[in-house]
Order: sequence, then structure tokens, then C-alpha cells
Amino acid sequence: MVKFIIRRVIEALPVIWLITVVSFLLMQQAPGGPQAAFNQNPHITPEQVTAWLQRWCLVRNADILQTIQEYLGWLGVFNCTGGGFLSAHGLPNFLPEFLGGGTNGVLHGDFGYSISSGQPVLGLIAQRLPATTILMGTAWILWVTIATLAGVLAAVKRYSLIDQVITIFSYVFYSLPTFWLGLILIFIFGVELRIFPAQGIINVRTSPAPFATDAYWHAFFANPWPQLVDIGQHLVLPVATLIAVSVAGDSRFVRSAMLESLSQDYVRTARAKGLPGRTVVFRHAFRNALLPIVTNIALEIAFLFGGAIATETVFSYPGMGLLFYDGVNGRDYFLLMGILLIGSLFIVFMNLVADVLYVLVDPRIKYD
Amino acid sequence: MSPPPARPGVPPPEDVLLEVRGLKTQFKVMDGTVPAVDGVDFSLRRGETLGLVGESGSGKSVASLSIMRLIERPGEIVAGEIWFEGRDLLQLPEADMEDIRGNDITMIFQEPMTSLNPVFTVGEQIAESVRLHRHASKKDAWDRAIEMLKLVGIPSPERRVKQYPHEMSGGMRQRVVIAMALACDPKLIIADEPTTALDVTIQAQILELMKRIQAESGAAMLLITHDLAVVAETVQRIAVMYAGKIVESGAVEETLLHPQHPYTEGLLTSIPSRVARGQRLNVIKGTVPNPFRLPKGCKFEPRCPYSFEPCKPNDPPLESIGDDRMVRCWLHGLPDQVVAPPLAAGTVPGGAS
Repeated sequence: MVKFIIRRVIEALPVIWLITVVSFLLMQQAPGGPQAAFNQNPHITPEQVTAWLQRWCLVRNADILQTIQEYLGWLGVFNCTGGGFLSAHGLPNFLPEFLGGGTNGVLHGDFGYSISSGQPVLGLIAQRLPATTILMGTAWILWVTIATLAGVLAAVKRYSLIDQVITIFSYVFYSLPTFWLGLILIFIFGVELRIFPAQGIINVRTSPAPFATDAYWHAFFANPWPQLVDIGQHLVLPVATLIAVSVAGDSRFVRSAMLESLSQDYVRTARAKGLPGRTVVFRHAFRNALLPIVTNIALEIAFLFGGAIATETVFSYPGMGLLFYDGVNGRDYFLLMGILLIGSLFIVFMNLVADVLYVLVDPRIKYD
Repeated sequence: MSPPPARPGVPPPEDVLLEVRGLKTQFKVMDGTVPAVDGVDFSLRRGETLGLVGESGSGKSVASLSIMRLIERPGEIVAGEIWFEGRDLLQLPEADMEDIRGNDITMIFQEPMTSLNPVFTVGEQIAESVRLHRHASKKDAWDRAIEMLKLVGIPSPERRVKQYPHEMSGGMRQRVVIAMALACDPKLIIADEPTTALDVTIQAQILELMKRIQAESGAAMLLITHDLAVVAETVQRIAVMYAGKIVESGAVEETLLHPQHPYTEGLLTSIPSRVARGQRLNVIKGTVPNPFRLPKGCKFEPRCPYSFEPCKPNDPPLESIGDDRMVRCWLHGLPDQVVAPPLAAGTVPGGAS
């Protein structure tokens, strides 16, 4: 098992390297630049800009070699303010700091600062993670449960009325864009009926402090109940939007996996044993249908990190999706590169988890 | 001796374990209705072995699944009685049927590669039915699984019991399937083409095993196959199916040595033999009729070398011809002795003279 995991991690390294290249090149090629933001700010002196450029190995109108140097600088292999490939200790710069390497670049956990807010990128991400985890976690648990039940039901009662109803709802919701569905829900339940709040994660008028600040958590843990009710009310509409679309897709997936498994000979064998229908469906058929479902679910968790950009934007929900959206609007390249890179690493990691789960679920797959 | 005609709703005598009467199973599909099993009658005494023989599509597998009531939509049992130990299985509630399946009646399927669940060990799969029907503890059921593996001749059963199906060969898996079918001491074993998917050498071993186990356990066995050689070696009685109907039945030796139905005769002469080496192989001309457009009269008539006037318009009944033998052919039940269906005047050979 350990050997299997180590092998998969080593196999993932080239993928991770390619991800850093792609994230960097994407941002490199994107129009506009962070300097435009500095030019608008009278408090920044030209010397500060030059120092900042050198700190990040940035060159105006860079040629190919300079671009590679910019990339290596961002990565942390190269150090533009000091000894180039060598750190202050005279050792290769890419080594971890405690082994005598440098301190700059993403290899050393240095993701830079947000240009618009001046805060460190990692700090911004950490600040937004709780909101995204709450939203996406709630939605994910609900949609996986509902999709699995609906998919199994539709497969077992194939071609029946209930199957047709589930199928029709799936196609309708799958075809709805999230931003449109979100707006409609806001209009009906937030504006007209005024049952649920239309935006945000907390009610700023009644909340003791802004969300995810130390003061907020202090108040939260002192008396969690009113805050939980507050968050819960704010979650209803965005969660409903996410569920409607995701259940539609996933229930179709579960249905086809179940149909595949129900048509197998071993299901007939199980029935010939005299097992009751429920046992046949869940113990024998569903257990086999789980194999593709597990992979699907594990990869969905990975995408949860990025938040739901459209949904969070429509509901002004302060999660990762909104952070990314604001980053794009503000040409906040360090922030975008940070989110892209960490999000991609998370996807690679969840792929690994899916592979390990697969081995646990299917005895035919061996560790090595 | 022919059995007395069964009266509907009256159970057969005590020594008859299974009696199928007028069983009809149809598949309603978009293009129409396929009468896969179209009025099948046969019976099986306790401890007896019966071979149900026929080509692919003759309805023999559907007949066996009908006995287990494992026909799934769009298939449906539309008529008939299936008497098993004094009860009509077609009248039982599903819960009672679950008690019979895997306990009193068990099945051995054709494909050992796919009929075992890939995610459970073979021990779990054998123990599952023991726990279900015997209410045995986990430990007892597991011990029973090891005992059964030993019985079906699997070496080092204590190790094999913990293995998954994919770790075994085809023959080994079929032994597991047989062990599973025997674990609850069934009264009837239905084996649906149990050796078809196996190598010839393994086939012989499995047949030998099934014969031994059937003899030792005293269970009755319904062996379904298209292979006459398998039937000849394994069973006491034989029933030949064609297009959803039984066309001939009787003691296996008698029937195979002196076939009375042209179809049985055709099947026998189309087996390659050493005697006729170098000669052209005798085959039954034509193909199995399209199930949507079955002939009106005898279903075998279009392919029959002996076809004569009454065959086209009239489907012959299954008639006793003595010695526990039945045959469905106008050649035996002479048309003028047949009361129903009536023949039009002038169609009877020699009738006009």
C-alpha cells in the first residue's frame, strides 16, 4: 500500500511540474499586467516598482530566456535578488530553506502578495476557505446522497413512471445554467417572497463581526447557535442552485452504473440464491456500481476547492469562487496563479485518493 | 406407462417432485410477442435426472428461469402451473418464493466467469445462502463453505475460501458455483448449460462431479443443454424442446437410440461421428423459425424431411406412445385418430380412397 502510494506520488510529479508551467504561461500571456495597477497609485515610487520587479524576476517585454527566468523565479529555482541559481548559503536555490535553499518562489511556499489588497495570497485563500468549505461541503453531501438514491431508484424501476420523472427532471435541471437558476431563485425567494436572504454568508447587521475574522470565530464558539441559523439561511439558495444542477448529472451517472451492474450475471445468481430484492440491489449490484461512482465522487471533491465561480458570484458569497472572479477582474495575477496552482495540486491529490479508494473497493485491483 | 392426464389445480402424486403444466412464458417487445416457452409440460420425480435439450432459442433457459420465477420484464409467465412439493410456485407470494430459491431449488449457471460476484470472496458467496436459509452463525456458515469447497474437489479449501473469483480458473469457479448450489442441500438442482463455457477436459471433470454429487445428495436434477453427448452421459430421462415446445421425451437411452420425432433424429444425425468420417455431415436444413412468425401448424414442418399434408395447418399434440415416451408429431398420432384439431376432408393421406 505504502509502496503504491509512493509510486503514485512520484508519477504525479511530472504532472505537477506541467501544471506550474501551464499556470505560469497562462498568466504570462494574459493581457494587461500588475504594473498598470501600480501606475494608478500615486503613493508608489518608481524605485519601489523597480525593486518589486526585480524581486519577482519580472522584465518588461521579456524574450524567451527572460520568460524562462521569470518562470524559474516564480517557481523558486532562481533568485533574481541574489545569487541566481544559488541561495544565500551557496547551495542550490530550489532546496528547502532548512537544507540551505532560498526563500523565494512557490517551492518555498512564497505565493506573493495580492496586488489589489496587498495581503499575502496564502492568507487570502485561507480566509476564504471556510466559506467555500461550508457551501460546497453542504451542497456536495446533499447532492451525492440525493443523486445516489435517485439514480439507484431510477435504475431499479427502469422505464417506470418514477424513472421517467427523474429522467425529465435531470434533463431540465442539467440544461439550466447556474447563474440563471441562481438569479431566478433570488428573484422568487429573496426579492418577492423574502423567505431567504439573497446574498452573502452572514447578515452583516446582526453578526457580531465580519465572517472568518478572529472576532467572528470567538463569538461563534461562545454561542454557535444564532450564527449557525444565520449561515444556514444564507446557504439555502446557493446550495439549492448547486444541488439542482449537480444532482441532475450525477443521478444519470449512478443510474447508468447501476443498470450496467444490475444486468450482470452475478445479480441473477444472487436472486437465484433467494436473497430479497433489497439485498440483491444494495449488497450485490450497488457494491459493483460503486467502482465508477467512487472515482466520480472523489474527483468532484477536488473541484469543490475552486468553489463555484458562477454561483458564488451571483450570490456574492465570499468563497474561493468569488475570490477568483475578483482576481480576474483586478488582474491580480499572483492571486490567480496561487489559486490555480493550489487547486490543481488538490485535484492531483484527490486523484491519488480515488486510486487508493478504488483499490479498497475493488479486490481485482492490486496495489502493484 | 403414460401418466394420467393432470387436472388443473390438483397437485401431482407425492413421488413427483416437480411438475410443469402448460407453462407459457412470453416476452412482449416492441415488434410483438415472443412465445419463448409455449405450453411446456414435464415432470421430475424425486432424485431423478432430466435433460432438457434444444438449440439456442428453443426456450429451455427461459423454462428453467420460469421455474425459479426469475423471469424479468419484458418477460412474463402468462399461463401454466409449476407444482413443487405440493405447492404451485406460480401462486406463491414472492417472500415464500425467496425461501425456496437457493434452498429447495438451486441453479448452476452457464458462465462461471460472470456468475460470481467479483467483489466478494467465494467463501462469502457460499456462506451467504447458508446464513440466509439456515440462519447459521457467521462461523458455521464459513465452515460450511470450506466443507462444500472440499466436497466439490477444490484443493486446499481453507486457503481458496478466502480468494476472489478472479483468482480462480474457469473450471475452479464452476466448482464454486456448484458448491454454492449444494450448500443448502437442495431437493432440485437446475443446471443451465453448466459445462458449455468450459474446456473439453474440464467439461468431463465437471460432469463427473455433478453426477457424483447428484447421486450422493439424492437431489433431483434438471440439466439444460444443447449438447446431446452431455445428456447421454448424465441423465436418466430426456425432453427435447423446439420453438418453445417439448417435441419428444422419454428414457435417455431409448430416445437417443430410437428417436421418434424428426427433429430429434435430425439432431442425432448432425453429430459428427467416426463411422461417417469423410462423408458429408447430415444437417437439419433451414433455421429456427422467426419467433414473431411461427408456422401455424407444426413448428418444425418447414425443416422436416417427412412433412405431409396435415403438418402445415395443424400443430400436433404431445402424445404418449408408450414406455413413458411422448412425441409431438403427426407421424405417430395418425390424423384420423386425432380428435382435435379437426382436419378438413381430403387432407388426410389415403383418407379419400
